[in-house]
Amino acid sequence: MIRVALLGCGTMGKIHARAYTSIQTATVVAVCDIRKEMADALATSLGCEACYSFEELRIAFSYDVLDICLPTYLHARYAIHAMKEGKHVFCEKPIALNIEDAKAMVDTAASCKVKFSVGQVLRFFPQYREAARQMQEGRIGIPRLMRTSRNQSFPGWSWENWYHDVEKSGGPEVDLAIHDYDWLIHHLGKVSRIYAKNLGTEHPGHMHSLAILRFTNGAMAHVEASWAMPQGAEFRTTFEFIGTEGQLCYDSSKDCPLKVQVGVQEDDCIIYDNPVAETQNPYRAELVSFFHAILHDRDPEVTAESALESLRIALAVKESAQSGKAVVIEEIRK
Amino acid sequence: MKEMRIGVISFEHMHAVSYTRELLSLDGVRLIGIADDDEYRGTSMASRFKTTYYPSYLTLLDQKLDGVIICTNNRMHAAVSIEAAKRGIHILVEKPFATTLEDAVAMVESSREHGVQIMNAFPMRFNPSVVEAKKKLDAGAIGDILAISSINHGKIPDGWFIDPSLSGGGAVMDHTVHLGDLIRWFTKSEITNVYCESGSLLHDKGIDDTGLVMVELNNGVFASIDCSWAHHDNYPIWAQVDMEIIGTKGTMELKAFAQVIHLDDQTHGSFEDIAWSETGDEGLIREFIETCRTGKPPLVSGLDGLRALEIALAAYQSSETHQVVPIIRK
Repeated sequence: MIRVALLGCGTMGKIHARAYTSIQTATVVAVCDIRKEMADALATSLGCEACYSFEELRIAFSYDVLDICLPTYLHARYAIHAMKEGKHVFCEKPIALNIEDAKAMVDTAASCKVKFSVGQVLRFFPQYREAARQMQEGRIGIPRLMRTSRNQSFPGWSWENWYHDVEKSGGPEVDLAIHDYDWLIHHLGKVSRIYAKNLGTEHPGHMHSLAILRFTNGAMAHVEASWAMPQGAEFRTTFEFIGTEGQLCYDSSKDCPLKVQVGVQEDDCIIYDNPVAETQNPYRAELVSFFHAILHDRDPEVTAESALESLRIALAVKESAQSGKAVVIEEIRK
Repeated sequence: MKEMRIGVISFEHMHAVSYTRELLSLDGVRLIGIADDDEYRGTSMASRFKTTYYPSYLTLLDQKLDGVIICTNNRMHAAVSIEAAKRGIHILVEKPFATTLEDAVAMVESSREHGVQIMNAFPMRFNPSVVEAKKKLDAGAIGDILAISSINHGKIPDGWFIDPSLSGGGAVMDHTVHLGDLIRWFTKSEITNVYCESGSLLHDKGIDDTGLVMVELNNGVFASIDCSWAHHDNYPIWAQVDMEIIGTKGTMELKAFAQVIHLDDQTHGSFEDIAWSETGDEGLIREFIETCRTGKPPLVSGLDGLRALEIALAAYQSSETHQVVPIIRK
């Protein structure tokens, strides 16, 4: 049984905690958050210990895996610390905010011979998995034109409003669109050229990114990510994958199976729900896959290098928007 | 009410069919004849619409017309338009306006010189959902526009459309202009620079069928245009025009061809989405007849056509160089 310490009991910590309740290969020995009430609540629901600092966690508990659900700017510090103590690390996405930190994480994992993976969870979402399967079976021929969108209102609920500070969150490119960059790179291969525009920090509450990606195999993609939707707007994702022989489409707002209306109120008068069986819960699947890699001493399904590459693309998108020019990826790699 | 004498020059572009149908539905309009250099096509259409066939468009232009609708291949737009202008005939020319900037300028100048109106066929400006979107945007429904992403997917046309010497280009030429025009109209601003990735990626017909364009406007707004002929044969509808507009106070999502009923056709084993609302062609023809009657400038002019063409031409240049191409106007 793999022993897990869960660091960070906010939004993602809760989602991971829920996944652990149906994972047989691992057990959470402790949850940790500097916010005592958050740690206590999650510990109670998991039936494990709570602690309130990383120092306390590392001294008081024996564990094999550190599951990091902290704000992005804290990822590298705790990941590297834990790796140096011989812990395997599963870290929420994005891997880090800059290439230096991400490389240090990748290198440390290698030198300390621990498993390290990043929560690029889109690869485990059942609708995206099904799209990948259909593509692999050749149902759309050769994938050529890929459109994705991932739109929401500004996430105003975060601890100390850290999303608001681009220095800490990276903005919609690094925090949100990285899901789609990662999925596209994983299935189409390397990106050769990027041109992008955005509404940046000068538009608080409307941060928004449009990017055109050209792949080395000639395919192209339009990736949209937004924090510009009005407050209260539904979180919505779409994809349209067009190939030489066909087209795959998905729209979370159209294809939502459950709609509940509870009278005319200020908030939540219509609730859309998209339930999946626990066996298909993508947050469970990514963790199960990581534990599988530890138990069988294999490379994780989401390699740290691929998470680094996805970050590289997200940063190149921002660079293009800033410079007003196309970015050639081979040039920034040098 | 004086009867308007209208001619239709060529059915090379299939939009001529719906334009002619609209003409015939209007009061006070007389279809004088159809000219087409393809005798079979011209005579079939003349018989279908119960009018006279003219083998030469010049002969048709000499029939004391008030207005002419030009649906030749794109390359021919300039020559035919200029002949019509010389005869004092108002002109509705299919989009794209022309295939070169020089042609477009000559068309606008000749219409000015001869005191006729030249209108470019941008039917989307008359699509009821687009019209309503424009009204709401102008009324400040979502505040100031900040960014737009837009899609004009369609099926790949055949024949001269995929011969660049007659069409001026593929999907980038055919589809960028519609959304380029709406973006200019909605933002009341001009496009300052263009980036584009394009190629023959989907249909292997040796012409660009896929394109992603990004434009910047002089008020700081940016907009992406997906102009691809992305729909395969069995896609349930030919055209798709979608826009998502981010404003300072809200957002707007426009799907101009969402007003459909779904047909499941057992006999042909097909699914079809059939539009039940006006698509825009109807309003376009009504506007043109009004222009012929009053001589007043139409809602969408030759200059609008020229501005939209600039975007497509800059997009091709950017596709070659992978650089952002500025649009410089004298």
